[in-house]
This record gives sequence, structure tokens and C-alpha cells, in this order.
Amino acid sequence: MSTTTGMPSATAAKSLASSATFRTFATVFAIATPIIYTACEMQNWPLFTYHPGSNRVDLGWAPAVKDEGPAMYWYGWTATTLIGAAILGMLATMLPEKMVRSIPLSLVWIVPLAVVPILVYALRFFWRW
Amino acid sequence: MGIIPDFLLDYISVSTYWTILFIAHALLAVALLGALSHQAMSVLMPVRAGAASGGFVTRFRAVHGASYAAAICVLWIVTFIFGAWIYTKYRIYVRIPIEQAGYWKTQGVFELKEHLVTIGLGLLPIYWYFWKNARNPEYDSPRKWLTVTLAAMCWYSFLVGHVVNNVRGFGS
Repeated sequence: MSTTTGMPSATAAKSLASSATFRTFATVFAIATPIIYTACEMQNWPLFTYHPGSNRVDLGWAPAVKDEGPAMYWYGWTATTLIGAAILGMLATMLPEKMVRSIPLSLVWIVPLAVVPILVYALRFFWRW
Repeated sequence: MGIIPDFLLDYISVSTYWTILFIAHALLAVALLGALSHQAMSVLMPVRAGAASGGFVTRFRAVHGASYAAAICVLWIVTFIFGAWIYTKYRIYVRIPIEQAGYWKTQGVFELKEHLVTIGLGLLPIYWYFWKNARNPEYDSPRKWLTVTLAAMCWYSFLVGHVVNNVRGFGS
């Protein structure tokens, strides 16, 4: 009995690993994530704002409330990024295979490295001596 | 402050709760760092097939990288979730004193850590796919450099987390 319980997930993983659709989704998701995240950080586009002092969540960007501690935007940036990248990834799966194949796979590691200097620059407030 | 399941507080103090959570986060990070370091070394300095078993470095890089991929994805996600959970506590009880003490660069490098771990999260699906198709030569180069990129992100995040804990962690 117990030996058969792991079979469906193993089969699903195998089929995902051989799926051209999943490859397209994952490639575009990987390229879009650093770009969208950097835009979210620089433009301050959180999907929601979390106020840890009061455990309150506001939709979109909200300022810190007086006497209620700081506001946190990182959760909201992460949510915006993952949803945005997933939408782009799904849209890419509808493109013709020839077009998708023309996306250089090296972008999946070049783009994340390329946004690092931009993010370092965006944090310039902290680089003071 | 933060998200704490109420029933837990019948058995442990708030301080113990956050300490357990932080130690779990740190241990998961150690496991992730070790796995990614082995895998990155295995793609940067692969051991030739049939080579005689060498010393520590040879054995360190002689791992079967593909068998690490799923575990690394799970560890990255779980470590991320634990870190995101602790972050609520950090924002009030760690970051504010760090800012009051004027440790701006410490805060800045931690902010960059937040950014890198989220970006790393987005790289996991294609990373997993590349390793599941490790026999496909088309993916050799992107798989190698993506693995090295993730390992670099993990090392940076680990070291920064360690430094911030030294600045204001346990006992502060």
C-alpha cells in the first residue's frame, strides 16, 4: 500500500520535467521576477501593506500610522512580483513555440545579476559614512 | 506584534517562540547553504568520470547535483517562509534599534538580502527544470551559471543574516 502512495507525485514531476509548456512558463517567470521586483521596489508598488504593530493589512501602498509602528512593504512587493511574473509566464505559454525558443536561456541568470547594481543604487539611502 | 498562534503561548513564552523560529530558520539556511555549495562546486569543478577518489575537495565536488535540486527548492521555500515570518519581529525589535544606533550600512545590506531571496524564489522553477533535464546538453551552461548565481545569493544572505544577528540578535 505505502509504496504506491508516492507514485502519482513522482509521475507528475516527471511529466512536468518533460513539458515544453512548463519550460516556457518557468523561463519567463525567472526573467520577469527580477525585473518586476526591481520596478516594485523603485516605484513602491506593493500589492498590500502590512502593519506589524497592529497586525493590520491595507490593500496597495499605505503609510505608517502614527503610534502604530512602521509599515512593511516587502511582503506586498513579493506578492506583486510573483503574481505578475506568473501572469507573464502563463501568457508566454500561448506564444508560438518558435518565438519562445528564441528567448536566450542565459537570461535566467544574467537578468537577476544585472538588477543587483540597480537594487544597490536604490538602497543609496543606507550607504552613508 | 507579529503572527503567533495563540495556543502555543499556553506552553511557551513569546521570547521562546521567536527563538525557536529563528533557530529553525538558521538551521534550514545551513542545510540550504551546504546543499547549494556542493552543487555549485560540482558544476564549476566537475570530477571526471573514472577519476580516482581524491581528498576532501574532490569528494566535496563529486556529488550527484541532480539529486540535490528538489531538496534545494524545498529548503529555499521553507527557509524563505520562516524568514518572512520572523521579519515581522525584526522590523520592530531589530531594525528600529539598528537605525537608532546609526548602523545604516548594516541595515542596507540586510535590505539587499530581502531583495535577493525574493528574486531567488522566482528562479526556482527553471532551476528545477534544468536539473530534471540534466542529460540535455542544451541546458548545461544555463544550469551551471544559474546554480552558481543561487549559491552566491544564498552565501550573501547567510553571511548578512549572521552579521545582523551579531549586531542585534540573541540576548539583545
